[in-house]
Amino acid sequence: MVPVLEMEANALAAAPSSAAGTAIHVDRVTVSYAVGKNTRKVILDEVELEIAAGEFVVVLGETGCGKSTMLRMILGQEQPTAGAIHVAGKTIDRVGASCGYVPQKYSLFPDRTVLGNLMMGPETANYHILGRLKPSFRAFRKAVREQAMKQLERMGLHATDADKYPHQLSGGMQQRVAIAQALMMKPTILLMDEAFSALDPGTRGSLQQMLREIWLETKPTVVFVTHNTAEALFLASRIIVLAKQTGPGRAGAKVALDMRLPETGMSLKKNGQRFLDLVEHIELCSQGFEAAAELTLNFEGNAQ
Amino acid sequence: MARFSPFDIQARPNYLLGQALSFVLFVVCLGLYIHTSKARHQENPEDRVVPSAAQLRAGIHSSALEPAEEDDYIAPEGAGKWERFRHSMIWKDTASSGKRFGISLLLFLPAILLALHIGLYPYFNAGFMRFVLFFDKIVALSLLPILIIVFGTDELSKISLIFIGVAPTLILDVIQMVKAVPQEQVVKSFTLGANDFDVTYRVVLKQIMPQIINSLRLNLKPIMLFLFAGEMIAASDGLAYRIAIMRRHMGMDVILPYVLWVALLLFLVDFGLRLVNKRMHPWFQS
Repeated sequence: MVPVLEMEANALAAAPSSAAGTAIHVDRVTVSYAVGKNTRKVILDEVELEIAAGEFVVVLGETGCGKSTMLRMILGQEQPTAGAIHVAGKTIDRVGASCGYVPQKYSLFPDRTVLGNLMMGPETANYHILGRLKPSFRAFRKAVREQAMKQLERMGLHATDADKYPHQLSGGMQQRVAIAQALMMKPTILLMDEAFSALDPGTRGSLQQMLREIWLETKPTVVFVTHNTAEALFLASRIIVLAKQTGPGRAGAKVALDMRLPETGMSLKKNGQRFLDLVEHIELCSQGFEAAAELTLNFEGNAQ
Repeated sequence: MARFSPFDIQARPNYLLGQALSFVLFVVCLGLYIHTSKARHQENPEDRVVPSAAQLRAGIHSSALEPAEEDDYIAPEGAGKWERFRHSMIWKDTASSGKRFGISLLLFLPAILLALHIGLYPYFNAGFMRFVLFFDKIVALSLLPILIIVFGTDELSKISLIFIGVAPTLILDVIQMVKAVPQEQVVKSFTLGANDFDVTYRVVLKQIMPQIINSLRLNLKPIMLFLFAGEMIAASDGLAYRIAIMRRHMGMDVILPYVLWVALLLFLVDFGLRLVNKRMHPWFQS
């Protein structure tokens, strides 16, 4: 049994129903691999999930529960053992430009300047190596450059940072550029794998704020994988918790909690006890599927 | 202030002392050489094993300003030093060895591209990896007789020896470099609209290029080793050929300048490659 929380009847407009169109459909996906002659380790067990266009979905769960595996499958980097992943109605079987991607590290190409990193996407996608000889490429490049400088400014970086190499930037600045790099492609779906995990709390906070503003402004579908429950409550319009099944004969992780939040930008300061209750509930769910299944919640989010 | 013995790990010599220490062994070697040479020449003024400064000067003069014995060239009256150098024995040998060295370097280009593909494309990996690993274990010098039988004593046998000796190691090295490129970079490139060509040449090759240059720098000595082995066994010109010929005549007055000349050339090639890396890949220095 999967406890699904519909916390308020008038749930956020920012968390649209499936009527807005399904952006990502994880269709009864199982992932397993052989660990011996006759045994298989199951990572995900028939996970079923529909993510509507414009949702900000944060995937939470303990280490090794398959969060990043699920993200890699949506990306096309890995293939499910059973089931399928559909992105914008198409079955995903390889990595392509259908989704923007921001990993935890190694986001930026070390051999390119900040500007080079930002311009790489539009240039590569529109002009292949011989196409760059066309006269139109120069004008295109100029336009992309202007767009990149605007994006840089939007991310809170200075024009003087444009000519720096990634190693000359702090971790926070690198992640800002990585987000800008992904946004240059104007993605309708943005996948972020523990994108802020390696940052200090201050930088992390400002990047969370910036990402939330970008999402509210342009409403891409975001799938954000994290360990951090507070971060999830601040960013998400919907929280998915993956947890391992621990009962006899059961293996792999399933969706232990699928919760649409009544508002985004939740924090301890703003929501007080309610925030703490939610944190406690989510963390309990992520500890194990059975623990989550036994739990029921009232509409205020308090454990009973 | 803490006092350290010079043998402490934490001891740090100041700049001047560090520089001075780095020259100590050169000075010791030079001193030993002069001492030995002087002692031997006192016993036998015609000694050729440890030539004196005058003998060395004469050897350098004959190598750098006179044609090889087998050449018919006679320098015109009043020919300048540069003109005579261009027809000298050392120039001729350097040009011959340099040509073989250059062709070998060019042949490494397809080897590097093959390694790039083996590292990135699973089908290439399946097709080539086992063969390269096997080939890497073959002692190249053991193939020299076969190469001479098949290709004769021409250039091809010597260049093949260098290629067979160095290419497998270089290929395996480049494969490791490709594998070390974070997978996130490859995935990110695809999400930015790149195709296989872009990922291979514009992302991965560009990123590992400075490491490839460093690998070539490290392989300069093996390249020269195989070149010298080939030239000493089957050649009619070249730096190693000349050293081998001079050995028969105990011509240390020529061998020693040749050895230093080869070291200088290698140093210059290494320095040039280092400069290329510094200029072309400023991001790599960090």
